[in-house]
Amino acid sequence: MTLEIIARPGKRAYPPRVTAFTQTFWQGLLDGRFMITKCPKCGHMSFPPKRICAECWAPNTDWLAHSGRGILYSQSVVNAAAFYFAAELPFRLGIIDLHDGPRIATRLIGMDEPPPLGCEVELVTLAYEDGPLYAARLPAK
Amino acid sequence: MDRSDRSGIRNVCVIGQAALPCSRFQTPDEAEIQTVEHEILADVVVRAVAEAGIGKSDIDSLIFTHPRTYTKQRYFATFMANYLRLRCSGVVMEVIGNGMTGGLAFDQAVMQVASGVADVALALGISVETAVPRTTHLAYQMRSNGDVDFHAPFGFTPRVWYGMDVARYFHEYGATREQLAAVAVKDHWHGSLNPLSIRGTPFTRDQILAEAPLVDGMGLLELAIPADGAICLVLAREEIAKSLGKPYARVTGRGFYHEGVHEISEVPNDMLAMASCARSAQDAFAQAGITPADVSLAELYAGSTIIEVLASEAMGFAPRGKGAQLAVEGETRLGGRIPINTSGAPISRGHPAYLTPLYGVYELVEQLRGQAGARQVKNATIGAMMSELGNFSGASVHVLEAGR
Ligand SMILES: [Zn+2]
Repeated sequence: MTLEIIARPGKRAYPPRVTAFTQTFWQGLLDGRFMITKCPKCGHMSFPPKRICAECWAPNTDWLAHSGRGILYSQSVVNAAAFYFAAELPFRLGIIDLHDGPRIATRLIGMDEPPPLGCEVELVTLAYEDGPLYAARLPAK
Repeated sequence: MDRSDRSGIRNVCVIGQAALPCSRFQTPDEAEIQTVEHEILADVVVRAVAEAGIGKSDIDSLIFTHPRTYTKQRYFATFMANYLRLRCSGVVMEVIGNGMTGGLAFDQAVMQVASGVADVALALGISVETAVPRTTHLAYQMRSNGDVDFHAPFGFTPRVWYGMDVARYFHEYGATREQLAAVAVKDHWHGSLNPLSIRGTPFTRDQILAEAPLVDGMGLLELAIPADGAICLVLAREEIAKSLGKPYARVTGRGFYHEGVHEISEVPNDMLAMASCARSAQDAFAQAGITPADVSLAELYAGSTIIEVLASEAMGFAPRGKGAQLAVEGETRLGGRIPINTSGAPISRGHPAYLTPLYGVYELVEQLRGQAGARQVKNATIGAMMSELGNFSGASVHVLEAGR
């Protein structure tokens, strides 16, 4: 199970910083994998990824490729945002509970109408010219 | 008098206060004549101390809210100590805690007096942002409410978290945009009676619903209105308060809780439960020896109507899912069972963000001293002030009661 990789023209509006640790995530995303971290001691799963387990403080978590599928917990349209995003307005953001995984928040794409909460969504990789982002959409048939 | 009952924070009283109306007084950089923060705040401090009826030399500690990034003068607390030549043996400091900043400044001033370090402490500050373009301000804010690398790149803003609260609230409880708008009608009416309100006008439900939604379920009149402000509260031991022969407000309970979460819990939870607010209210009420039913009025830090609703439910003033409906039924308005945000709330009174909790205390003190004029809650004896962080991750509650 890998994420569909969708090529996007131009650069990301507000690129994330990449660290020696998080580059595993961003490189994975470019390859269509959504990497989260899981604690080998207590099983706690983190996203954004964390090197140290937030719950039990075990010093080294493991990387785990998640399916990128989950349930939409909430969502909202955005009609005003920081100037970086002026060209993208309006857009939609959402909170997603990944199946057997952590809760994340990200951009929703392909949803002109408000999607029903509780619906199934899937993550995709958005491959911009300067690097990747991810977004959620209704599952491709 | 049982002295043990007056130990710790229960010995702390608010004996005086002054505040500027929430307004727009920040000048743009290109203005020929500028307003500067220290000149404005100095007047407010002198007024507050005179209102308390004490002298400058009685002041031991100064707890400032950290000015926002738009205030040019840095090291503002020590600069103000110089500007007013305040010699202090307790502490002079600035506190910062996002939207809770004003609540933390009040809390620290309470602790200064409660610990015996200070006989008199000021909780004070000034906040300016209205001359800053909104999109610039949003670029600053988006680095606050969420993760700079894993949320900001998608365009998250403080308001969108509110929008997602609304969507979830409607989904779980079948609440409607019309019910939520009733909260705004109520707050704007309260604000129309408050000389400190930046809007100062009532709005009908139709006017509120006519605004285009900025996020799901809420338009301009349902979201906090940015404002500049300046405020100073004077806190002292109760012996001092009693010696002044005037009404005052005494602190009787305090609660604080941080969930160890920033904006969103990675462990799926009930986002609408506002657990930190519920926990801090329980602790504050327990310390005060009261239940939510004993509270005469509450000032809730609310950047939007949905936060007021969720907080009123978390604190036990409304059943889960009924917070907005209570506004429809008039229970949360002046004259109702539990008046909430008689100041007009950040949507009408205005939202000088780091000061908003201090303006909340100011409203409670006016009410508990019987000086709230047209907004006066009859027989107001106990007030609660809540301030919160981000999307529910941390909150604090203070309980005050009327003293004389
Ligand atoms: Zn662990």
